[in-house]
Amino acid sequence: MINSVILSYTTFVYFASFMLYLIMMVMGKEIMGRVASLLTIGGLIAHTVAIILRWVESYQMGIGHAPLSNWYESLVFFAWAMIFFYVLIEWRIRNRSIGTFASLLALLIMAYASSSSVDSQIQPLIPVLKSNWLITHVITCFVGYAAFGIGFCLSLLYLVKKLDNPKKKNIFIKVIPDSDILDELNYQMIIIGFILLTLGIITGAVWAHSAWGRYWGWDPKETWSFITWLVYAAVLHSRMIRGWQGKRMAIFSMIGFFCVIFTYYGVNFILSGLHSYAT
Amino acid sequence: MMIESNNKKKSNSLWNMLSSMKLTLTLLILLAITSIFGTLIPQQQEAMKFAQGLSPGLLRFFELLGLFDLYHSLWFRAIIALLALNLVICSINRLPTTLRLFRAPSRTDRSKPFENLPPERSFLVKGGIEDVGRHVANFLRKRYRGVLIKSTPEKSYLYAERGRYSYFGVYFVHFSILLILMGGIIGSVFGFDAYVNILEGGTVDTVVLRRDMTPMKLGFSVHCEKFSVEYYENGSPKEFRSDLSFHKEGTLPLKGSLLMNQPFTFGGITFYQSSYGSIPSKVHLKIQKEGSDLGELVIEVETGETFSVPGSESQIQVEDAVSNLNGMMGPAALISVKPKEGEEIRFWVFQDIERLSKQYPEAMLQAPRMNPSSFKPYTFFLQNLESRSYTGLQANKDPGVSLVWLGCFIMVAGFFMTFFTSHRKIWVRISKSEEEARISVAGRTNSNPLTLEKELDLVTGQLHKLLDKEGKKI
Repeated sequence: MINSVILSYTTFVYFASFMLYLIMMVMGKEIMGRVASLLTIGGLIAHTVAIILRWVESYQMGIGHAPLSNWYESLVFFAWAMIFFYVLIEWRIRNRSIGTFASLLALLIMAYASSSSVDSQIQPLIPVLKSNWLITHVITCFVGYAAFGIGFCLSLLYLVKKLDNPKKKNIFIKVIPDSDILDELNYQMIIIGFILLTLGIITGAVWAHSAWGRYWGWDPKETWSFITWLVYAAVLHSRMIRGWQGKRMAIFSMIGFFCVIFTYYGVNFILSGLHSYAT
Repeated sequence: MMIESNNKKKSNSLWNMLSSMKLTLTLLILLAITSIFGTLIPQQQEAMKFAQGLSPGLLRFFELLGLFDLYHSLWFRAIIALLALNLVICSINRLPTTLRLFRAPSRTDRSKPFENLPPERSFLVKGGIEDVGRHVANFLRKRYRGVLIKSTPEKSYLYAERGRYSYFGVYFVHFSILLILMGGIIGSVFGFDAYVNILEGGTVDTVVLRRDMTPMKLGFSVHCEKFSVEYYENGSPKEFRSDLSFHKEGTLPLKGSLLMNQPFTFGGITFYQSSYGSIPSKVHLKIQKEGSDLGELVIEVETGETFSVPGSESQIQVEDAVSNLNGMMGPAALISVKPKEGEEIRFWVFQDIERLSKQYPEAMLQAPRMNPSSFKPYTFFLQNLESRSYTGLQANKDPGVSLVWLGCFIMVAGFFMTFFTSHRKIWVRISKSEEEARISVAGRTNSNPLTLEKELDLVTGQLHKLLDKEGKKI
């Protein structure tokens, strides 16, 4: 299948851009960053094309459905959304330092998706997944997760930036944007992620109501998405308390992303539940 | 007097605690942590096995705290209730401030916003301040409502604003949470959650409530005409489908198909396709009588049906039939023989007797419970088990669900109001500067400073362009 071939090449492209972003950070070579950006955009285009091709291929197989229906497809889409958000941010703040972490995360996700432990076959939709809510539910959830992922990268950078010492001339830290900008961007990413997570939970509830007859049943996936929602709700409220901005919010936001990862990965492989078809 | 003021102080401190943001944070985190436990400890039906492995003391502790049904326990609900109370009290507390901000009169001539104005927000144009002021006012009126102007011969202030209602976004969000909780409560008090299995060709008028496993009359009957499963080429299921008809006295029967993701509502009760399976119904038996010319007797009986064989007055019944006994012994039927005198004889008859005789020791199959010749002088053989498929339906009524959806809608709308709209106030100052007029643009906002900056850039740029064009006309 041509789509998986393109996707595995995309993984190498993200690897190359990660290396170049890193060289830019360590040696302060701006040109490396520019090449990395071009590569990342190229990777994003190839990634998009592969997803569309996969969609087309499923129709050619006679089992047509959006490529958002199993573990492999969700990983691929997760990485896509992450890179998409990163490219938007790079364009907005004209700073490439976030790229090091964003491309690394996307690279790890794609490498895992391409590994032999993940089945990349296009499978037909089982009855419960045959719903108009599939596309909306998966897109809102994963774009939300990606926004939280970028928030995680920003928090990481924020904490690195805080190590800044005027005496040391560390290029790595110099190229990172101002901590205020990072804080504000992180807050914005959390807002976007939070709204999308809420929409993801709501569309999931509507779907569950039509498939299983209840909109909420405390199954592990639902509960963990609720836990994630609570943590980010706490992050948003904490901003209104004096002294909770900055470092504390960065750490809090990182905890939130661990919850996201657990909702996504942990529930499928450590806990079991109704969502197990996604494994 | 002393006591009274003390009381007041006390109630005030309670009020302060309940309205504090720190309590909100504590409760959110507490709810998150306790929810985690519910995903680690097996809940409800799955709890049985886990509970058996616990020591009696630990078991009592778990039961006391309701840890096997954590999300429905009193204390978990109490945390949610406390959070709701906190939310209501916070809203009440903040309302006067919000209303003051919302109703605050617009102040046209303010110099404070113009302090530290970045140079790109100010420019010079040709013309008198009255002419220029008119153009600016027209420009602002096109974009904003309620433009205010205050002029002196030396200076002219124009004020415009947008998004005053944004102060209420957060109230919508919080109100929506109360709506969703209310919907949940209404659903659990006035609704029910039940299930029923209907055999293909069968009819039911009762469902079983999950809450306490008691039967409940539907008030109408449901007949299953057909249940079918479609498969893909690779063998995974493609579609589950139950063709049902609903019968209520005095009305014509209503046909309806039930698919996964496609429930059917009748008489206020919604049916969902939830499971399926098959149960053995008809049993084909072959009976031989030792040392007789009876030969073979072949009979077909339903489970539970009683029959007799020639040469004996005993009542024979097929008590039970299972498609796979103990999960490995294959199709089997439990035969019970009640002789006129003496004790009842019960034994299992297997269809795969040849395979079993190779797999299991002979002594085991000769045991009275397993020996097909236990009822002398007859030997029983199980030839075939006919099975009938059934469809498993979920039957629900939830009058609270529309309130939940309304809450969800309001929550998302509230998010957009809170996060993407803001009260933006814009001032344009026109001051005389010899032959020219100096235009300065400044603004204030309650949130989203970046959006305001963009708006100010846009207003400044467009004003500059417009006024330059107007200046050339003169």
